[in-house]
Amino acid sequence: MERRNFLKISAISGALTALESCGSPEQQLIRFIPDEDLVPGIATWKPSVCTLCSAGCGALVRVMEGEAEVVRNGRTGIIKMGLAKKLEGNPDHPVNRGKLCARGHAALQVLYHPDRIANPLKRRGTRGSGDFQQISWDDATAELISHLSEIRSSVNGASLACLTRPLRGQRRELIDRFLKAFGAPAPISYEPLDETVLRQANLLSFGSAALPTLDLSRADYLISFGADFLGTWNSPVAQSIGYGEMRQGRAGRRGKFVQVESRMSQTGANADEWIPCRPGMEGVLALGIAHVILSDKLRPRDARSRAFALIAGWAEGLPDYAPDKVTKQTGVSAETITQLAHEIAAAQSGAAIIAGAPLAQTNGMFNALAVNALEALAENGHAEPILSFTPKPPIATAAPNMQAGFPAISAFAQAILKEQRTPKVLLLYDANPVFGSPASIQLREALAKIPYIVSFGSFIDETSAFADLILPDHAPLESWVDDIAESGATRTVVSLAPPAVHPLHNTRAMPDVLLDVAQRLGGPIAAALPWKSYDAMLRSAYVPLRQHSGAAAPPSEDEFWTKITTQGGWWSTPTQTRAEAASAASPHVPAKFAEAEFDGAAQEFPFHFAPFPSQSFRDGSLAHLPWLQEMPDVITTAMWSSWVELNPKTAAQLHIAQGELVEITSQHGSVRAPAVLSAGIAPDIVAMPIGQGHENFSRFASGRGANPLGILAPVTESDTGALAWAATRVKLARVGGAEEGKLVLFAGGMSRFPAEEEHR
Amino acid sequence: MPALNRLKNWLIVALLCASGWIVIEALPAGPPQESIDTSRQRPAQTVFTPAHSSVRGAISDFLNWRSGPPAQPIAFPHKTHVARGLQCQVCHTGVDQGPDAAIPSVKFCMSCHLVIAKDKPEVKKVAAYQARGEDIPWVRVYNYSASAHVKFNHAPHIRAGVACSNCHGDMLQQTTAVRAVDLNMGYCLSCHTQRKASIDCTTCHY
Repeated sequence: MERRNFLKISAISGALTALESCGSPEQQLIRFIPDEDLVPGIATWKPSVCTLCSAGCGALVRVMEGEAEVVRNGRTGIIKMGLAKKLEGNPDHPVNRGKLCARGHAALQVLYHPDRIANPLKRRGTRGSGDFQQISWDDATAELISHLSEIRSSVNGASLACLTRPLRGQRRELIDRFLKAFGAPAPISYEPLDETVLRQANLLSFGSAALPTLDLSRADYLISFGADFLGTWNSPVAQSIGYGEMRQGRAGRRGKFVQVESRMSQTGANADEWIPCRPGMEGVLALGIAHVILSDKLRPRDARSRAFALIAGWAEGLPDYAPDKVTKQTGVSAETITQLAHEIAAAQSGAAIIAGAPLAQTNGMFNALAVNALEALAENGHAEPILSFTPKPPIATAAPNMQAGFPAISAFAQAILKEQRTPKVLLLYDANPVFGSPASIQLREALAKIPYIVSFGSFIDETSAFADLILPDHAPLESWVDDIAESGATRTVVSLAPPAVHPLHNTRAMPDVLLDVAQRLGGPIAAALPWKSYDAMLRSAYVPLRQHSGAAAPPSEDEFWTKITTQGGWWSTPTQTRAEAASAASPHVPAKFAEAEFDGAAQEFPFHFAPFPSQSFRDGSLAHLPWLQEMPDVITTAMWSSWVELNPKTAAQLHIAQGELVEITSQHGSVRAPAVLSAGIAPDIVAMPIGQGHENFSRFASGRGANPLGILAPVTESDTGALAWAATRVKLARVGGAEEGKLVLFAGGMSRFPAEEEHR
Repeated sequence: MPALNRLKNWLIVALLCASGWIVIEALPAGPPQESIDTSRQRPAQTVFTPAHSSVRGAISDFLNWRSGPPAQPIAFPHKTHVARGLQCQVCHTGVDQGPDAAIPSVKFCMSCHLVIAKDKPEVKKVAAYQARGEDIPWVRVYNYSASAHVKFNHAPHIRAGVACSNCHGDMLQQTTAVRAVDLNMGYCLSCHTQRKASIDCTTCHY
């Protein structure tokens, strides 16, 4: 047979064998009438607010005509609508100035997530089983109203409780008012890595109970004690922009950056000098540096600041913190301490900051006050300090009324378990404390005792699996969003934006549901929440800002409202404040060094356990987004998994090789994860990223990796009661080889891992 | 006997082609619909290649075989509308702004036909779509083979003053749209050359 014929025959027979299906997949779905008329192929950019972390960055959403599969009146069909295609930073927004971090970009996947709850759900199976059945909104709200009117008629207002993520802006106001109208206690806000210690320390030292704004673009010298300010802490986008300017934005003037921490973070990897320090000794190191500055007379000794008065022995020149003493405690050499002191003092504008693990020790408050005192010394009464506080917007709000953090959530669980106070109805909004709290506080058991739990979550997670009723909220891009940036800008910033796209599913915005329920309950509850919809509430809250907009203010309220909703918020003219005198903080006894205490005896549990917020998932609330699962960790390149960071020397002693499965055991439990050998970690420390190890959180996160928060001891910071998440000691054992470890690294090839097994 | 051999080979080829075609024709137009949940029927999501949904589609595209104009849900008389002086852009908005012209939604049709010619059978059908809350499922007439990776942007053509009829034919003669012009690369290039528009590959293929 000729070659030509052979080719023809094989082509045709090949086509026949490749036959999988024939015919055209013409739309068998009906097409709904579009709600809006869009020009095909033309993109519009709409403002929005990133809600994936608490920085409050402004985003722009690229919206184009597209086709979406939706359900209308119980029928599935296709509709042409404006769909969000891409997110970018809003260039006009003072916090992120046109930039957006990788987590922010992934907010698109919240909108299109295949496991988003599309309809109201009612529990069918046992609690926590995740077995729900779909119900209508009418039935769902009727059920909620019937439960709420029951408790309204009861005398005890404490029968309603609310668990949320830390909220700002009008969502917080709304929930506050709703609970107050019931006579219920204030909402409990919880996130695992809360900043109570730093806020409290800043209130004492500088008069502002807030996270600091860092104007790094003017800094010549920065010393950071554990702050991962380029990765996960505070306002990472704003800080990264400032850091870029500090290092490369000024010709001939490159600022120096020193990082003190015991496990190298992404931020530490950027430092000129990386100084490991014993856990819980960071405050001692800061005061050691201050001692040298004072004793070498690099700064006037009689300078006054309230931050100095908070440190015992400051007036005497910190005699307890001579370099040789400090060296013994911290493991940092006396020469390094002296060198750091001279560098800070020589810098025109220097700053010292603290965050992360040093605050999560039993002596976290001491560490914070010590670094704040060093900061005050470094800035030396500068008129425009590097570290300042973002002014609050001049609008009327109810007094800060939230039970925040670990003390609140553990007291809540304890009250239920001891049968002192069990709420009859619990409202859950965007918080997952079952995942984010140590198993030892028994929150799971406590939730199981609450008769009725309502969740407003968009996803089923470990906490909302306990819900009896789920009333799914819109995705942020489908909602009115507002936020008041706590930090990141030297002027007041209110981020505000209307929905960028129409809702894809049969969901309702949480604020609108609460307003509707309040109206239908009537009486004082309706009177406390008189607005018809959430945008009306936002308008009445933010339109008064027009009076503070100076000469450029639009002439009418309507125009002002249009302006702030189209530019993505309202911001004041720049001002810098570190209003030390303004605050009336209660006097604090001068802080004395107290040795950090750790849970577990050093003989039995030889290692300090250092969980750290994951670059991708922060505290674990973003683990359901596949783009973030796919994003390699900056230091280790690990992805889609958990890992344990070990010093190579420690690993050699314990005969652990890269990728082998190890078990970390504390007094409160154990987790298993593959080992990653890293030189950037002290030999007596093992570190593990927080965020994986979800039992029940979408198809992408469930059953993947291990959760280090579960094995933490319920040790608290002695001053504030915040969870001291870096104060647990652990032991370590090799329990399996690399095959069991299943470490997925981006670097070094992934061919060893069968696709089906590793990537779902 | 080379001649006989050659004939034999050709016969084999012809036989295979014929049997292949019979199989293709006999196969159902789509995979059987799996009714797991009757409330959520999805369209068939199968593809043969990224460019072609089926083998038949691939073969007919390769051979440039096209069936006649597709059956439209409404026998929309373009000629009646154009004859009454309606410009194309009244309904097909956005053609001067972006790559595609809009196909108006049923709401737009009914903005006139709420009062005009509301007794005509086809207009009644349109009204029925709106009453059901459905849009009219128009079928695409012009489309290029996706395998060509060609992009067409209406707006620059409108700006250059190319008449709609250059590619869409005289709509005064058409009821539902027909493929008046065979839009292959030669057709595009002849006009581009004539008008001294760019004939760089990446102008259209990107």
